[in-house]
Amino acid sequence: MKQIIELSVNGESSEFAVEPQETLLEALRDRMGLTGTKEGCGTGECGSCTVLIGGKPILSCLTLAVECHKRDIVTIEGIGDGNDLSPVQQAFVDCGAIQCGFCTSGMVLSSEVLLKENPNPQEKDIYKALEGNLCRCTGYNKIIEAVHKASEQMVTEQE
Amino acid sequence: MRLPKFEHVQPSSREEASRLLQEHGSRARLVSGGTDLYPRMKYGLTRPDVLISLKGLPATPPTVDPNGDLHVDALMTLADLARSQTVLEKTPLLSEAALSVASNQIRHMGTLGGNLCQENRCPYYNQTHTFQFVEPCFKRNGDQCYLIPKGKKCWAVFSSDTAPALISLGASATILAPKERRQLPLENLYTGDPLKPLTISDGEVLTEIIIPCPLSLRGTAFMKFTLRGGMEYAALSVAVVLDMENDGVLCRAARITVGSVGAGPIRAGKGENAMAGQRLSKNLFQEVAQLVVSETHPFPHHGYSAAYLRACLEVETRRAFSLAAEQITRNPGDPG
Ligand SMILES: Cc1cc2nc3c(=O)[nH]c(=O)nc-3n(C[C@H](O)[C@H](O)[C@H](O)COP(=O)(O)OP(=O)(O)OC[C@H]3O[C@@H](n4cnc5c(N)ncnc54)[C@H](O)[C@@H]3O)c2cc1C
Ligand code: FES
Ligand code: FES
Repeated sequence: MKQIIELSVNGESSEFAVEPQETLLEALRDRMGLTGTKEGCGTGECGSCTVLIGGKPILSCLTLAVECHKRDIVTIEGIGDGNDLSPVQQAFVDCGAIQCGFCTSGMVLSSEVLLKENPNPQEKDIYKALEGNLCRCTGYNKIIEAVHKASEQMVTEQE
Repeated sequence: MRLPKFEHVQPSSREEASRLLQEHGSRARLVSGGTDLYPRMKYGLTRPDVLISLKGLPATPPTVDPNGDLHVDALMTLADLARSQTVLEKTPLLSEAALSVASNQIRHMGTLGGNLCQENRCPYYNQTHTFQFVEPCFKRNGDQCYLIPKGKKCWAVFSSDTAPALISLGASATILAPKERRQLPLENLYTGDPLKPLTISDGEVLTEIIIPCPLSLRGTAFMKFTLRGGMEYAALSVAVVLDMENDGVLCRAARITVGSVGAGPIRAGKGENAMAGQRLSKNLFQEVAQLVVSETHPFPHHGYSAAYLRACLEVETRRAFSLAAEQITRNPGDPG
């Protein structure tokens, strides 16, 4: 049976009638057209479907849309709009931390959370924060470099 | 990948959840974070008609009772558990085990209760079987095992990381049934049968874990061995608790639990007995580690042979002992 839910995504609320088995990932991509969130595996292994709920990184492929009623959701579209990039996004571009881009939205969101909680992470902290995000292209070094760069940038901006 | 159809019910309390479970019988399943259940449903391994979801219910933060014992809500997410200051002070072993599970995202979704009640796993079973035109394995109600050809039993392993830690800490679980609330030692939650890993029935809800925190000198260590070191189920894990006499060199009692190499967590009783009353030393660690290996009989799983796991278990157990010995400290509640 369909249920009416209100999804608040990137600050904008809208109502949908969804089936209980519909995942947040499906609602974001198929109903709202927010295709920045990707489906890699659909079973929790790759992290490309990462979004933030209440500021915490979660996997939208394993979250039911009906359980997100009135929760604050942020997707990659809420981080920058393509022209105005966040320091993390800019660092990914500058360091060449993107190849095919499929993992990038998840990588950026996980890094955003890390830098908010720990503005000056060590390499091991970055590994731990990104362990649930798989990249099949870059070999990870440039991604780690980009997070370091974003962290330096954000710390200097604050001073 | 899509989830099959189901009806979704959000009870307003744990009691209501337990009542609903009873009412719907085998058609219903409990779900907390869904990180173990949803992938299995997507693969078509289980098809509940009704999901009773605990997700909307708030978790009580960890508390310490007048006896000094730690109470942890089973609905707490592993991320909150890993960063709880109370847990870190009382039982760093549990914080460490919780932090070793899966990835940051999964720890923000997965709960302690779901972690302790997760299904057993095997590389054949945990995949989609849609385009396989072969007879089902034991776990899919068939009569064969594809992992161990000609195997006469199921070899699926129980991979929870928090279970070995909690069993070594002597934790007990509070179980809520429709008409009663009871407690059992956590190790009695596990049957050792891969086809029915848990002793609780479908109508029952795990609500709380209670961890005794004695006022004594104690050293603990948790080792999780994986090939890649990132997000990965354990090849094996071992959790060690050494309770010491006041002098800090004689071991009064030891608890050793091995995870991920059997149908449930395995207590190494012979190893524990051999450790008790002894003076800690490298030689003792070596001897006891060998004993632990000899009594554990690791299941080969996920590409790891039994011989390889035995060799790794000896090394990891020895390391766990050394680490625990280095970390012997007094319980913060102890006047000294
Ligand atoms: C990619 C990936 C990697 C993983 N790696 C690890 C790992 O390294 N270590 C590890 O231990 N786990 C791992 N997991 C498994 C799982 O994510 C965790 O065990 C998690 O803690 C499960 O909790 P949950 O709340 O999501 O469980 P759910 O999926 O909600 O539930 C799991 C099972 O327990 C039952 N259940 C849930 N809550 C209760 C309760 N309160 N009382 C009674 N029964 C209950 C459910 O009916 C279900 O059968 C991994 C999962 C994925 C997808
Ligand atoms: S699509 Fe969600 S983790 Fe891969
Ligand atoms: S850039 Fe292609 S998967 Fe990461």
